[in-house]
Amino acid sequence: MIYRGLKIDNTFAEAFNMKASRIIVTADNKKWAKNACLSFTGFATSVIACGVEAGIEKELSPNITPDGRPGYSVLLFSMSRSELEKQVETRVGQCILTCPTTAVFSGIESDDVIPLGKNLRYFGDGYQISKKINGKRYWRIPVMDGEFLCEETTSRVSAIGGGNFLVLAKNRKSCLLACETAVDSLKNLSNVITPFPGGVVRSGSKVGSKYKSLIASTNDAFCPTLRGLTKSNIAKTVDCVMEIVINGLTADDISNATKIAIDSIARSKIKKDIVTISAGNYGGKLGQHHFHLRKIMK
Amino acid sequence: MKPLILTLKKQIKFRLDASFLTTNKIKNFNEFKSLKIAYGKRQCKLTDLFSVRGEDIKNIILKSSTSRIDNIGLKMKNMNITIFGNAGNSVGREMSSGTLKLYGNSLDYTGAGITGGSIFVYGNAGKFLCGKPIGKNEGILDGLIYVNGSVGNHSVQRMRRGIVVINGNLGNYCCNDMISGSIIVKGKIGKNFCDRIKRGTIITTQRKPVLKYLSTNSSEINFFKFYIKQLSGLIGKKIFSDKFKLQRFHGSEDNENLSEVFLVKQ
Repeated sequence: MIYRGLKIDNTFAEAFNMKASRIIVTADNKKWAKNACLSFTGFATSVIACGVEAGIEKELSPNITPDGRPGYSVLLFSMSRSELEKQVETRVGQCILTCPTTAVFSGIESDDVIPLGKNLRYFGDGYQISKKINGKRYWRIPVMDGEFLCEETTSRVSAIGGGNFLVLAKNRKSCLLACETAVDSLKNLSNVITPFPGGVVRSGSKVGSKYKSLIASTNDAFCPTLRGLTKSNIAKTVDCVMEIVINGLTADDISNATKIAIDSIARSKIKKDIVTISAGNYGGKLGQHHFHLRKIMK
Repeated sequence: MKPLILTLKKQIKFRLDASFLTTNKIKNFNEFKSLKIAYGKRQCKLTDLFSVRGEDIKNIILKSSTSRIDNIGLKMKNMNITIFGNAGNSVGREMSSGTLKLYGNSLDYTGAGITGGSIFVYGNAGKFLCGKPIGKNEGILDGLIYVNGSVGNHSVQRMRRGIVVINGNLGNYCCNDMISGSIIVKGKIGKNFCDRIKRGTIITTQRKPVLKYLSTNSSEINFFKFYIKQLSGLIGKKIFSDKFKLQRFHGSEDNENLSEVFLVKQ
């Protein structure tokens, strides 16, 4: 299939069921809200070793945030409820409580509630103050710059992680530029994040390894340096492959984000150096969700 | 479903107990219409005193109400009641959820022993607003009470939780034995305010309540702004203008007063 001059492979991305939560971080200004969020979403690229996949969803203007200050919404994805619960509390405690002027609120509502500031309040050593507004409890914890305000709980919802597409390019510079264009097009898009550094992955993985202790290893079928050595999936003209992983709250959100991202590459000048757009999957046996690129780009 | 509209047909001579609106076991409109209610020394049909329209018995509008009608919204749960005119004693007493709006004045014991829900009084309220109901040890346990006018003496007794917002003045001996919760008073405050207070938040424009308190900092402005923004959203009206100066005061631990006061200068 050729979409606006860009070749789309007849393949699909394989994604998994995950659990997600959203928090809203605000601060006196955008700079400190972003500092808190960058720290909060640090070391949260893949559930393989980080426990959680997290990223900044979008920037929020003061008239949208609960306390009328600039802020960001952050999405977290995990494979299990207990891990999500643990990661939210640890990260809020170490990255947001510590960051000057910040406050944290729940950004999603469902019946499945997980703690946000519920246990963090004990940092107040008995001087913490609770306020209940419209059925929601908030904690005010005295800290050296005044008070840290946090909502007691946030919610957990079902979500999907691992939606992806691969950019196969003639050279590394063009590949990176195309990926940057795609990631930029997803900025401020609701319900999705690209959890990897800058939104781009260069170390796509396959399941298993020749080493028994490893559960994942390099995706040799898409490594240009291994072309000829292994069963390669890339053409001779391809010199570089990069992947964009998209996690979203629903399948529609991921499909929509994939379409927007590929469309942005197809509309840019860089498409002349892109050989094809493909996707990563495990033969369709592991993931519960399949995102067929050609169906999405129709 | 259309809300049930009850309109008083004529002025009533005797006091009327309106607890039948909320404490009945009626499930449909036809049963409700055939209700018999106590009036003076006799029983009469509901339709003798009120003209009845609409059908939703969980969403009631009471028109031409007078201060002789007591116990409107008594022990109310998952209901909405709107009252046009004045109301008698014990409006929304011991209610647990729902919204009660009164476009008029109320007598004593409005919102006494409330455990949840919201009461909006757009006129004045009498004595013992959020007071202790007979046999109970606490005044307001949770919920939101907004009074647009002024409030009488002995109000907000032994407050445990919840939010009380008073746009007008507050009488004498109010907020005594306060355990926790928040009270916002925009008008003048009477004598013996907040005696024997333990914890809780007082937001006021008057300097009088802070005389016994220690001055702390004013950097908690982010909590205050957040709180006022959320409350203004619930009330549907800005509580304070956007520009104000804020000072925070705290009770000392020695006299077991852990409450705080926000002094707002507009």
